[in-house]
Amino acid sequence: MDRRKLLTSAVLGGAAGIVGATALGSLSPEDVFAAEGASAKIKPGDPDPNFVEGRITGITDTVLFVTSSDGSLHSIRVTNGTSIWKLNPTTFDEVKVGDGLYARGLRLADGTLAADSLWVNIVNLNAHVDSIGKGSLNLDHHGQRVVAHVENGRSAAVYNNTPAVSDMSMLEAGKHVKVIGAWHPDTNEITISTVYAAV
Amino acid sequence: MLHTIAALQPLLIGGVLLWSGSLKLFSRFAAAEARRTALPGLVGENRAVGAYKALGVLELLIAAALIAPPPLWIEPAAGAALSAGFLGYLAYAKVAAPTSSCGCMGAQPSRVGRRAFARAGVLLAASAAALAWAPSTAWYTSAADAPVVFAAVLAAEALLVAGFSSELDHRWLLPLRRLHNRLTHPLAGGGFEIPLDSTVTQLIRSGVYRHTAAALHSDLGEHWDEGEWRFLVYSARWDGRPATAVYAVPRLRYAPDDVRLAIVDEERGETLLTLDSPPEEATEARPEWVLTTTVPEHVRTA
Repeated sequence: MDRRKLLTSAVLGGAAGIVGATALGSLSPEDVFAAEGASAKIKPGDPDPNFVEGRITGITDTVLFVTSSDGSLHSIRVTNGTSIWKLNPTTFDEVKVGDGLYARGLRLADGTLAADSLWVNIVNLNAHVDSIGKGSLNLDHHGQRVVAHVENGRSAAVYNNTPAVSDMSMLEAGKHVKVIGAWHPDTNEITISTVYAAV
Repeated sequence: MLHTIAALQPLLIGGVLLWSGSLKLFSRFAAAEARRTALPGLVGENRAVGAYKALGVLELLIAAALIAPPPLWIEPAAGAALSAGFLGYLAYAKVAAPTSSCGCMGAQPSRVGRRAFARAGVLLAASAAALAWAPSTAWYTSAADAPVVFAAVLAAEALLVAGFSSELDHRWLLPLRRLHNRLTHPLAGGGFEIPLDSTVTQLIRSGVYRHTAAALHSDLGEHWDEGEWRFLVYSARWDGRPATAVYAVPRLRYAPDDVRLAIVDEERGETLLTLDSPPEEATEARPEWVLTTTVPEHVRTA
């Protein structure tokens, strides 16, 4: 991976210190937002033009066609700089028709959203652990049964707001949890990315 | 035998009604529970608590009549009517207010599910049995005639009702499940890898990130490990042109102060900025609400 080598040597390599330190002034949020017109007026109550949620109904080349839950249609352009999350940071070829997504980016003149970030099938559930099975949690989410699978090596647990660990064994039946996970489209199953619990 | 079993049903029904009626009347949470049931939809928001309490009184009256002498056929009939009415109410709640609580045995909110129907069904069957085969036999004479059968059947039925009561799950089902999990460890095998989430948390708590986050445009794009470092790549804008921000975060230790950053223009192959510690903050650049003067003497505590 030449790219990784280049980036690794850039961040670790050679003289520590600040290259272009004079440019640091431009890091203040006011300057950044002013420069990009991000503060462009959005009327209160209007939908955020730079955000899209919905289900993917078609994929051509690098454009996703998305139907939002309010029925509106959107096209989303994915670039080299777009970050894509689907359980973990991943690549564009993992994105499939039928997936749900949240996208944030910049609306182009033709109405397309040039995506900065895509979160595919991401869900955020506050639920009760009804029971724990082999490699999965059975969650009670407001009366709905949700099966949350643990994927070893990917799923992580945050206990009492300490940094995440891979060890899931402190989760207990009957306790409350918050789960960030990836939904399996059209099922009541998810794979856990991070589960937050108090122990 | 059949006569004995039928004759003990008033005691079972009476016991269950005593339990549910007294919870409806005397529980501290009765009013809140009443509002969670389907009653507000049935009788109106304002009358729900009153109706709930009135139901509790009715249940206690029927319970007292069932348990106390004399045995009359009207008592199991009233129990059957109450059970049938309750089944109808459950069906209504299931259709009209599926998210409501069952309101059956007070205190713990519980959803209207198959088990609530099963329990009401058991009570209806018990009332029907008493009405059909022992309408005017007192349970205490029957208990004196065949104490062993009486006690065994009553205990079995009580366990059945308790098993169908999701309000009691935390007393027996949950401890059983926890014990089972402690013995079988269903979620073992997570390994000792440092999760990505942990590294991202460390990054977000670092001074370098706080000073540069405004330049980032995307969520985490790519990451890889090399030696003691984990590299996290974001899309960024720098000086008005697209760039790549790569952070090096200590992987195996928690040291947010060691986080380093390079912002690279990959098209031109130029490194635009590197940071290995957060830049000094100019004091005059601080917002005015930052406390700059020393704390007055009288404020100091130690």
